Parts: sequence; structure tokens; C-alpha cells
Amino acid sequence: MAASYLEEGYTLKSWLTTRDHKRIALLYLAAITAFFFVGGAAATLIRIELATPAADVVTPDTYNRLFTAHGVIMVWLFLIPSIPATLGNFLMPMMIGARDLAFPRLNLASWYIYIAGGTMIMVALLEGGVDTGWTFYTPYSTLFSNSHVVLALAGVFVLGFSSILTGLNFIVTVHTLRAPGMTWFRLPLFVWANYATALILVLATPVLAMTLTLVAIERIFQVGIFDPGMGGDPLLFQHFFWFYSHPAVYIMVLPAMGVASEIIPCFARKQVFGYRMMAYAILGIAAVGFLVWGHHMFVSGQSVYASLAFSLLSFIVAIPSAIKVFNWTATLYKGSISFTAPMLYALGFVGLFTIGGLTGLYLASLALDVDLTDTYFVVAHFHYIMVGGSVMAYLGGIHFWWPKISGRKYPENWGRAAAVLIFFGFNLTFFPQYLLGFNGMPRRYASYPAEFTLLNVLSSAGASILAVGYLLPLGYLGWSMFRGERVAGNPWQATGLEWTTASPPPKDNFEETPTVERGPYCYTPAGGETQA
Amino acid sequence: MSAEARPLPAEAWALRRATLGMWVFLATELMFFGPLFFGYWYGRLAFVDAFFAASRQTDVLLGGINTAVLLASSAFMACAVDALEAGKRRASPWLLLATAALGLAFLGIKGVEYLDDFHKGLYPGGDTRLDSGGRLFFLLYYAMTGVHALHLFIGIGVALVFAFGIARRRPALCDPGRLRVAGLYWHFVDSIWIFLYPILYLAGRSG
Amino acid sequence: MNGRRFYRRNLGVGILLMLLLAATTASAYVPMGAWNTVVNFAIAAAKIGLVAAFFMHLLDADALLRIAAAVALLMLSIFLTLASTDYLARRISPAPWQGPHVLRPSSPAR
Repeated sequence: MAASYLEEGYTLKSWLTTRDHKRIALLYLAAITAFFFVGGAAATLIRIELATPAADVVTPDTYNRLFTAHGVIMVWLFLIPSIPATLGNFLMPMMIGARDLAFPRLNLASWYIYIAGGTMIMVALLEGGVDTGWTFYTPYSTLFSNSHVVLALAGVFVLGFSSILTGLNFIVTVHTLRAPGMTWFRLPLFVWANYATALILVLATPVLAMTLTLVAIERIFQVGIFDPGMGGDPLLFQHFFWFYSHPAVYIMVLPAMGVASEIIPCFARKQVFGYRMMAYAILGIAAVGFLVWGHHMFVSGQSVYASLAFSLLSFIVAIPSAIKVFNWTATLYKGSISFTAPMLYALGFVGLFTIGGLTGLYLASLALDVDLTDTYFVVAHFHYIMVGGSVMAYLGGIHFWWPKISGRKYPENWGRAAAVLIFFGFNLTFFPQYLLGFNGMPRRYASYPAEFTLLNVLSSAGASILAVGYLLPLGYLGWSMFRGERVAGNPWQATGLEWTTASPPPKDNFEETPTVERGPYCYTPAGGETQA
Repeated sequence: MSAEARPLPAEAWALRRATLGMWVFLATELMFFGPLFFGYWYGRLAFVDAFFAASRQTDVLLGGINTAVLLASSAFMACAVDALEAGKRRASPWLLLATAALGLAFLGIKGVEYLDDFHKGLYPGGDTRLDSGGRLFFLLYYAMTGVHALHLFIGIGVALVFAFGIARRRPALCDPGRLRVAGLYWHFVDSIWIFLYPILYLAGRSG
Repeated sequence: MNGRRFYRRNLGVGILLMLLLAATTASAYVPMGAWNTVVNFAIAAAKIGLVAAFFMHLLDADALLRIAAAVALLMLSIFLTLASTDYLARRISPAPWQGPHVLRPSSPAR
């Protein structure tokens, strides 16, 4: 019996010089978890401040730095890499029957680049932070901000390369390393989702890199490309920035959809409904997601005709997402459902993503957006998708594949309790923010009129519950790595090539390259059939 | 792309992966230039006359010569790759040296041009003769040619590494597939310049 | 490509590229208004096409590589085109406090 990948060397050097995609995934997991809690600390301070109407906990300037730190860390250091770099790295080769990714050394380089970028951002924060918001809007960031903008920009620039290389690796892997018989339409939806995500990573991130470079140049040399006083256009920055940052949100949500598509069939013991449409919908979301960025600029001075086009396209992009929600629901229908922790997270994902997605349509409507933009409605919308959606799916995936990754089971009741606590804490935190936004409370303000106090207090209370909910998995998952019950290969009786290996798997995943004869999700109610 | 039995040997698959990987990388590089191209397009729309006037201040002779130099270097690189693939290992290093030399010549001429531009005050912080449109033009000029030059510099390095590696018969570098992949990068850098030349040097020449 | 045929082919492509370079430079001096830009772009596209087809071997490459190249170009075009819809369709309403560059574009800045 081959040694598991965890046993191939116990030294730090064996981890830091590994080429094994599974170890690299764990390196990412450790770093991402650390950054998540740093970003969470910033959020905690924000919610403490907002528990009272006055700006009495921190100064408004510090508050600006807090929400910027929260955004920069959570978007670039946590959400963008979260599922692709941890679960994607770990599972993609296994799901297609390969030994590793196409370029294993590039994979390790991606991690080091990520750490370098993250370090630069942390240094910028320790030096006092940035106060521009994670969106770095010009001309404030280029002309007026007295914070460490250039260092932060440099850190994000470096991080971008990590994203690009991971995306490149995934694309080449899926095209060239599938096992015999693993045709495109036999791939698990998780692979489709990460493939589409990789396309976005590769095509959108370079635009961000150049945009940030131009902001830095503008800030240092004051050339005038974004300065209206010198004939430039601040909206030019916004076009460049959102061309990346809108597809970026699909980078954050598509892998989450992929995770949901793995968990739901398993715990409904049923074939996913409409597999082909699910795959096409993934590609559709990625493609149309590139065409909607102007909906962030409806009130910034963009031409009304362009805004109309972007509004229409934003409605259209909701369609493939809706198809996926219908199909997940149809998968559950007449299924044999068990409410394990991963399933609770996945169900929570579907519900919260739906709410977030529907409120996106409010914002895509030009007339409504005039009132709702830059209010807490927007904040609630994107947190429903990114936290209610992506983070829940991420946690669901971590729990689902935890036996595969670690060879141990986490304590199921703690898992369920945490999932429920997170669900309630999340809704208590963010639902009031929809109401706040509707009533006109603007975002990025440290103080607010007294009439908004109750909803803010509810939101802050919810945040405290959410914090406990997030700390629980840190505790019991960590505990289970050492004391958890050991499991055999496939404790969930799930289908998928990754479940045919030992738990934890050996370094090269498969003893011999598997041959695939069936599609994915061949579930029966009485217990799963695994792939040959 | 179905995945039936694999008749090709492992090296062929490795080459396929490397080639696809390089094309994906080139796609990212193209998108990297995207905002610069759009910035240029924005400037052309917002400052038509100023852009044409600024473009007329570039040195079309040096720019044209540089374009020819780079086109020739691409031809030499193509020959170097083809030579190695045809088994003519002796010719390849010389062809690669010629490629690198032409690349260095390009950088040299570019350097002369930059010096000239500085003397004429044609840079965003410089001469007050330049209006907003002119300043934007020259920002983009330096940004685009600068990023291009950086990429060319890397390409020259790669060409030299291969030239010496093949001459010394290092097995890792005598791989025609690898050289072909490296060649793709060189041709891409050339292609970017093919596009930069008319938009920077030829706009407004007839005005 | 065995023997020395590749030298001839690459030389041929190279000469063609030089001719196109001469054509684009010469045509830039012929007053054609907006057509100058069109001609320059067309010639640049032709040159890039030659480099891609022959030097980068796209002509005898896998469909996958051609798709990759096409997707990259398509994405860039989408970016440029869709962002342009904003700039081409804006209505500027000059107001008294606006800078001179808006009231009279292309005049020297303050």
C-alpha cells in the first residue's frame, strides 16, 4: 500500500519545495485561512464601529483604511484563490484521472507569488494602510490619497500573476491530461466550473495588472490619463478596473457552483438534473460575465446608451445562473436527501445565492440603481453572493472533501452546528443591510443618522454570531487532523474519480491511469456506485 | 478533444502541453496591453488633432528601421527553430545569435530615440509645448514601447540561453519543441510591435 | 520541413513583411483622411497574420491553438468595442466651470 501524499516527507523543506498539487493545495489552504481571519478582523472592527451611529470607535480616516483592508484582503487574498487554489488544485487532476497538473513547478511558483503579493499587501497595511477602498477609484487614489497606494497596488499586481499562472495551469491540464474515456461531457461539473474560472483568470487579470500600473504611473508622474483637470477621464479607470473586477466576481462564484454541483447529487443520491445545460450555463456565465462591467458605472457619467446595453446584458447574465438554481432544485426533487454538514452548506449556498442574485437584478435596473448604488443595498447584495454563496460553498467543499484530504472525519454534529450557526449569523448580519440600503444609508461611512441604528445593531449582532460560526470549523477541523476518526476511501459513497483513490491519496493519485466508461453522478438511492 | 487511446509518445504530449501553455500565456500578454490600446483609442477620440500632432513628432525613420529590424529578427528566429527541427543543429545557434543581435539593435535604436525625445522635451513632465492630448500620447508611447522593450529584453535573454545551450549540446535546450515554444514568444513580441508602429509613428503623417 | 526549404519559405515571408512595411509607411503620407487608419490597420493585420500563420505555425497547428489565438483577439475586441460604446455615445454638456479642454478640445492646457 503506497504511502499517502502526507507521508512523503515530514520536513518543512519537503512541503516548501513540493511539486505535488495536493501539498500545494494545503499550502494555499493555510495561507488563505490566515488571510481570511485578518480580513475578518477588519470586518469585526467595522461592525463594532457601526454598532453606534457616531464615529466613536475609530476615526473616519481609520474607518476608510479598515474597509479598504477588508475588501483588498477578502477579494484578492481570500475569495479569488479560495476554491480554485485549494480545492481546485487538490481535486482537478484527480477528477480527470491525472497524476498532477500540467505544470507542477509553475503551480508551486504560483503559491510563492501569492505569498509575495500577500506580504506586500500586509506590509502596506502595517505601514498604515490604504484609504481608497478596494476599488482604488481615481482621481482620489492618484492625486489626493495620502496612503500607501503604490505598495498596495504593487502587491495586487504581483498577486495577479499567481492567478494568471493558476488559470493557465488549469486550462492546459483540462485540455491535455484527461484520462482515456474522460470526454468533455463526462467531466464533473466542478472541473467545468474551474475550467471556466481559469478562462476568466487568464483573460481578465492581465487587464487589472495594467490598470494598476497606470494608476501607479499616474500617482508618481501625474501624467493626466485619469485626471479630468488635465484632459483625462476618471471613468477610463473605471472601465479598465471593472473589466477585470466584474469577471472577478464570477471567478469567485463559478467554483462555488461547481462545489454545489458535486455535493448536492451526492447527498440527494441522484444524478444532477440537466448535466449538459449545467455545463453550458457555466460557460455562458463566464462568457456573458465579460460583457456587463458597465453596470458598476451607471451613475459615474457613463453614456446612457452604454448603460442601457450593460443593463440589458446584466439581466441576460442572470439567466444561466437561474438555470443552475433550477437544476439544483430539480436534482433535489425526489432525491433521497441527507443533511450532512456539506449538504447544509450547499443548500445554504443555493438559497443565499438566489437571494443575492435576485437583488443583483434590482441593481441592474437603471432607475433603481440610481437610488441604490453606493448604499448598503449593494453591500448586502455582494455579501449574499460572496459570503452567503462562495464562502458557504467553500466551507461545504472543505467539509465534503475533508476525508479525502486528511484521511479523517471531522465531528459531524459540530459540522452541522457550525453550518446552521453560520447561516443564521449571516442572514442576521446582512439582511438588515438590504433594508438599510433601501432606506438610503450610504456605504463606506463611519457614522450614520440615528434612524438607522436598530438595523445596524442587528447587523453587528449577526456579525458576532457569524464570527463564532467561522471559528468553529477552524477548531474542529484542526482537531480532526490529529484526533479525528480515520476513514476508508469513500465515506460518502460519492462518485467521481477522486473517490476511487485512498484517503488520503498517494502522491501520484492513481496506481495506474483509470479508464472512464461512464458519465459523472451515477448515483442510486441505495448507495453510490463508484466509477470503475 | 476526445481522449481515446494515445498513439503519440510522451514527448509529443509534453510539447502539446507546452505549446498550448505558451499560447494561453500569449493571450494573457495581449490582454495586458489591452488598457494601453484602449487608452490610445480614447485619446484618438478625445484629442484627434493633438494626437496626430504628437505622432508627427516621433521619428518615423528610426521607427521604420526598427520595425524592419524586428521583422528580420522574426525571420531569423523562424529559421533557427526550423533548422533545429530539421536536425541542423550547427546552424541553429548562429541563427539565434543573429536574432538576438537584431533584438539588441532594436533596443539600441530605441534608446537613441528615447534620448532624442528627452532632448526635445517630448515626455509627460517635460516641455510645456505639449498639450493634454500630446502628454497623453507620449505617456502611452513610453508605456507601450517600454513594456514592449521589456518583453523584448526577456526574449533576447531566452534566445541567447538557447543559442549557447544548443552550441554546448545541453539536452534540455537542444529540444526543438522547446525552441519552437520560445519562438512563439519572440514572434508575439514582434507582432505587438507590428501593431505599435502604425499607431505611434504613422498617425497623422498625411495631415 | 526537411532540407533547406524552410530558409526559402521564411525568407519569402520576411520579404513580404518588408514590402508591407514599405507600403504602410508610404501610404501614411498619402492624404486619405480616415482611410489612412483603415489601410494601416489592414496592413498591420496582414503582417501579424503572416507572422502568426507561418512563423508561429498556426497554419499547421491544432484547432485548439487557433481557437486560443482567436479567443484572445475576440476578448480584446470585446473590451475595446464595448468600452467604446460609452465614449462614442456620450453627450457632453459644456458648463461654465469646465476646463478649456472640454470647451475647446485639443487646445493647449492651462
